[in-house]
Amino acid sequence: MKAAIEVQHLQKSYGEHTVLHGLTFQVRQGEIFALLGINGAGKTTALECMEGLRQWDGGSIAIAGTTGIQLQSASLPGHIKVQEAVKLFSLWKGAKPDAATLESLGIPSLFKKQYQTLSTGQKRRLHLALALLGDPDILFLDEPSAGLDVEGRHSLHQQIRKLNQQGKTILLASHDMAEVESLCHRIAILQQGRIAFLGTVQELTQRLGKRYTVTFQTSQGQVECSALSLGDCLLEKLEQFRQQGISVEDIQIRRGSLEEHFLQFTQEETP
Amino acid sequence: MKGFCYAAALQFRLDIRSKALLITCYLVPLLFFGLMGGIFTSLDPNAKTALLPSMTVMGVSMGALIGLPPTLTELYGTQVKKMYQAGGVPLCLGAVTTALSAFVHLMILGGILYLAAPLAFDAALPKHPLSYFASLALLIAVTLSLGCVLGLAVKNQSKLTMICQLFFLPSILLSGILVPVSLLPSPLSQLGMLFPAYWGYRLMQEDGFGWGNLWPLLIILLAAVSVCGILLRRIRRR
Repeated sequence: MKAAIEVQHLQKSYGEHTVLHGLTFQVRQGEIFALLGINGAGKTTALECMEGLRQWDGGSIAIAGTTGIQLQSASLPGHIKVQEAVKLFSLWKGAKPDAATLESLGIPSLFKKQYQTLSTGQKRRLHLALALLGDPDILFLDEPSAGLDVEGRHSLHQQIRKLNQQGKTILLASHDMAEVESLCHRIAILQQGRIAFLGTVQELTQRLGKRYTVTFQTSQGQVECSALSLGDCLLEKLEQFRQQGISVEDIQIRRGSLEEHFLQFTQEETP
Repeated sequence: MKGFCYAAALQFRLDIRSKALLITCYLVPLLFFGLMGGIFTSLDPNAKTALLPSMTVMGVSMGALIGLPPTLTELYGTQVKKMYQAGGVPLCLGAVTTALSAFVHLMILGGILYLAAPLAFDAALPKHPLSYFASLALLIAVTLSLGCVLGLAVKNQSKLTMICQLFFLPSILLSGILVPVSLLPSPLSQLGMLFPAYWGYRLMQEDGFGWGNLWPLLIILLAAVSVCGILLRRIRRR
């Protein structure tokens, strides 16, 4: 599959502090790719370099297509009306706003409202609408669901899936592991400016060797075991209990979430 | 070009909605005009000849040095800048359209004062309106360029308020509009020459329109525009 974004040996420092230590990765065309990492890992810096908003010190970034950018913390003049913002940005992008896209984001109903009166969710929708002006091939979304309520988050996720189905490549940085797990095809975990993991969520799980956690409530107390395969964990323990004459009163099976895997991974990999 | 024209017209509307620029471009200068015009002309009938240029210089200085810089800081010191960059809007657009909008507002203020001064205080009107308004336009442009430097250089709003006063007060006190320059101590009158208000006030008076008063304004304009360019480049790299 062709690369929509190709980053090679990307380096960036702020004064003496090196934030990115030669990042190398590809985002394939048509995929949803997430950059994960704890605060200060370099996600936003890497994203801003790719977006062209920040100069980098070394390495290269190749972008195959037009881009749309939704920033993590963005703002507009408080008194600008939504309609005026859409017109201003579309004039500068040389693109007519797509009525269907605006409609799907609920923007026309906000046209007469001033930016300062919009809720967080409405602002996010407007920022996404502005990023989508000109029908870009690649979308950069930095913490797209930050500050949104459950309904807003659900609606945004639907929108992201729809855009991806239309063929758009989406690169997002997020702290929301459930969001990443449900949306993304591949992830990259950044640690101290380096890529510590690159692959699918399933590959991360396999690497950690922990996919399922089974909790047994037995006559002698609670016993917990974790394993990649449910059979390994469940059957072996049950056989063990049978041999020891321990009766099992209850069994709880839990599939590990990306959040747990992420936490485990970052704790294990931190020097 | 269409985008630029829309952005300029939009900024004009935003300034009216925000009211902050309206206060410094219209309300305070007109109140000052109403109050000081009455005092000046009742104390000294000769003040009627210099009332229009002096009140105009005061209004322009207030609008450009107190009103404009916070608008620019709001734009360039916040996430609005990044949003514009992300949307493909040129970084200099904010400064240019904000200055253009303020220019129009201050020209309107100059027009209001021109019409009101003779009616309210029997003030003398200039014999050459064309050169008067050309001088006014140049003074506004130069003072706005200085206001742009302040707005682009200082990120912090409270610091900016103080720094703006450091430019505004000497502009008013040392330009000769309140106290004749001849009455000022020599170092202060020389300090006053660094501010556009000094030269603008001389330029707008009868027989003041000439190269002697024009070139200092042009030099300040050139220097301020160059500094704005450097500051914008620095902001882009920030």
